[in-house]
Amino acid sequence: MRVSSHRRFTLRGLAAAVLAACALSATAAATDVPNHEIKDPHYGDVLFQFFQDHYFSAVTGLMVSQQFGRVEHHADEAEVLRGGMLLSYGLQREAGEIFAKLIERGAEPKVRDRAWFFLAKIRYQRGTLAEAEAALAQVGDQLPPPLQEDRALLQANLLMARADYASAAGVLSAVGGQAGSSRNSGTRYARFNLGVALMKTGRADDAARGVAVLDELGRAPAEDEEFRSLRDRANVALGFGALSNGDPKSARTYLERVRLKSLQANKALLGFGWAAVALKEPQQALVPWLELAQRDVGDSAALEAQIAVPYAYAELGAYQQALAGYNAAIAAFARESTDLDESMAAIRSGTMVEALFERNPGAEMGWFWRLGQLPALPHAGHLSQLLAQHEFQEAFKNYRDLRYLTTNLEEWRAKLVVFDDMLATRRKAFAERLPQVRERAGASGLGALRQRRDALAAEIARGAAAADGVAFADAKQLDLLARIASAQAIVAGNDPGLAPARERVRLAAGALTWQLAQGQTERAWRAQKDLQDIDDQIAQAHRRDAELAQAQRDEPARFERFGRRIAALAPLLDVMIPRVAALTKEQQFALQDIAVAELTRQKERLAVYSTQARFAVAQLYDHANAKADAKQESEHVAARP
Amino acid sequence: MMMKRCTFLLSLLLAAGAWAADAAAPAVPATLDNRVQDAKSDVIKLNRDLLVLEEELLFPANTQVALFVSMDVGKLFELDSVQIKLDDKVVASYLYTPLEVQALHRGGVQRVYLGNLKTGTHELVAFFTGKGPHDRDYKRGATVKFEKDTEAKYIELRIQDSMGKLQPEFDVKLWK
Repeated sequence: MRVSSHRRFTLRGLAAAVLAACALSATAAATDVPNHEIKDPHYGDVLFQFFQDHYFSAVTGLMVSQQFGRVEHHADEAEVLRGGMLLSYGLQREAGEIFAKLIERGAEPKVRDRAWFFLAKIRYQRGTLAEAEAALAQVGDQLPPPLQEDRALLQANLLMARADYASAAGVLSAVGGQAGSSRNSGTRYARFNLGVALMKTGRADDAARGVAVLDELGRAPAEDEEFRSLRDRANVALGFGALSNGDPKSARTYLERVRLKSLQANKALLGFGWAAVALKEPQQALVPWLELAQRDVGDSAALEAQIAVPYAYAELGAYQQALAGYNAAIAAFARESTDLDESMAAIRSGTMVEALFERNPGAEMGWFWRLGQLPALPHAGHLSQLLAQHEFQEAFKNYRDLRYLTTNLEEWRAKLVVFDDMLATRRKAFAERLPQVRERAGASGLGALRQRRDALAAEIARGAAAADGVAFADAKQLDLLARIASAQAIVAGNDPGLAPARERVRLAAGALTWQLAQGQTERAWRAQKDLQDIDDQIAQAHRRDAELAQAQRDEPARFERFGRRIAALAPLLDVMIPRVAALTKEQQFALQDIAVAELTRQKERLAVYSTQARFAVAQLYDHANAKADAKQESEHVAARP
Repeated sequence: MMMKRCTFLLSLLLAAGAWAADAAAPAVPATLDNRVQDAKSDVIKLNRDLLVLEEELLFPANTQVALFVSMDVGKLFELDSVQIKLDDKVVASYLYTPLEVQALHRGGVQRVYLGNLKTGTHELVAFFTGKGPHDRDYKRGATVKFEKDTEAKYIELRIQDSMGKLQPEFDVKLWK
């Protein structure tokens, strides 16, 4: 009757691993204030997906980033996260390998401790308990606080698995703390299990302590539904424990605490009635049982109430009502049996699984997801007990995951076709356009450009050698030089009348020669610099051309490689899609088998109750006949003379 | 009869209670379960290979640019949306759901854009809209000029709280 920590391990353990991966302290986690440092943005992106429950995107995204080597700063944390995610998908072998590698390569203690813890958990889930205990023993003192609690719960489960309840109680006492310390969710579960473990040690003083622990839990104020539900379970456990110990008075006290609208309510109502009967107060039993008899007979307690009510009437001596009650119950059981047959037929036809899938959609594969909505089918109530079963939940989760994988694979198949087309288009464009581009580049005159550059360089060299600055004269100076030469030609000769003009021309020519000589150095430097720029541009053009030539050689090979990868992946998809489809079908049949088996059990239970009701009817008739015989006998005796 | 019923009921209850024990009880998974796990594992690996192919084909490293959004603390700013322009062209507009904002608060970093850019100088402008201090509408921008070389470029747009100014701050981090 202990509360499972199996699911809690998965959920809380992984959350803790991730929180620890982000170096969130318990306080920080509680106030939702991050104080972590992301050293690789892609690792942050994985967390972004993970925190939104996009687990498939998170794990595949992480694996892609690992392949590209862009989560190097979080290498170990990323591996713990990947291992945790795969573990939660049920991929125990891969997860185990990841954690074993982390240990082998001597990861830092806090990572190693988490790896040992998860390995212990995997081994526990696989049923290798001794190995699980050995792994757990390797966990040091570097486990983050949220996992320390889970570690203790795992240790207690391992001890309880080998019936060492006293040691389990010792471990749980350390986690569960003192009475009244049940505010934290994990602590409450630990205290519940502690109570159960104490009651199972076989020692009277431990049993009394166990009752006290559960009683404290059963009376504690509960601020959330999870705790209220656990409190109900504690009270039901206490109530039925007291009933089996022959203490109906205490049983009634415990069962009275259970909420009327809760998962445990039906059991509590039934038990409360039996406690009243044990106290010789059958009229008090009728109150809860009549309420219970109104409820859905898909529930075993409600089913039993159908015959418990007439039993109470019989105890009260109301035989007519008892008889009517039993007959009504027999009729109800027969109707229920027919309904169960119809439900089983719906299950076998596949309608139920499809209807459940439609009512419980989800975007991605995920382990937090839980089937909760009943399908829109006649007699869907028959399935409510099924939905509470771990086996059915896990099987349906697999079914849902497989459906998701089918969609995912189909999407990739369509994408691969697009990639192939894209590659063909690129290949064609490259083959057609690149030669044209190179041709244009050649035609635009790399050679001519180089010739012009060489001519310019020669001119600069000549100008530098002449050192008269004429080679570097600007347009205005060239114009002046031409005009002076023209003027010199006009004033040439010995005409004394032109002597002043000759002198002015001479002065002007001298001034221009001076100006040109003065600017020679700067202009020669500028010309050299311009020449260098031209050289750079020519070199750049050459590089581009070389790159284009390289691309012309390399790109087809790159396209070829992509083409080969696409060609290699496509058949994998072609194999995987029917494989997943076949598994989906198989999983559907497995689900249907689980459902039919459950409904068959319900039918068998109905048959047992029906037999009991018939037997009770026969007893009532016997009783009535005996009474009539007795009356007849007494009348006969009285009539004797 | 009552005791018989009671025993039967108890056995039922224990069976129901044993659901918890069954769930926790170590058990070797069924063959079908093993095969389903194998298929899941294979599909996850296949997805990795396909995603790597997709990225290398569509966003080769020499032209790749990835833009990220992160939020440190974020108590002074309630993010509604972000718009990002690269070289004056809108490349991403994103409206956040409460779940996404929560994921950012918890330390997630969103890759909001993945694209290609040629080598050279580029300009990025990001506009953040949401609610600022005192529940007032808030719109702020952040801008950065950056060089794109032949390596993949990762740029993070960060929303931070300035406790000194009691205002949110928006800046850009260029990852090496």
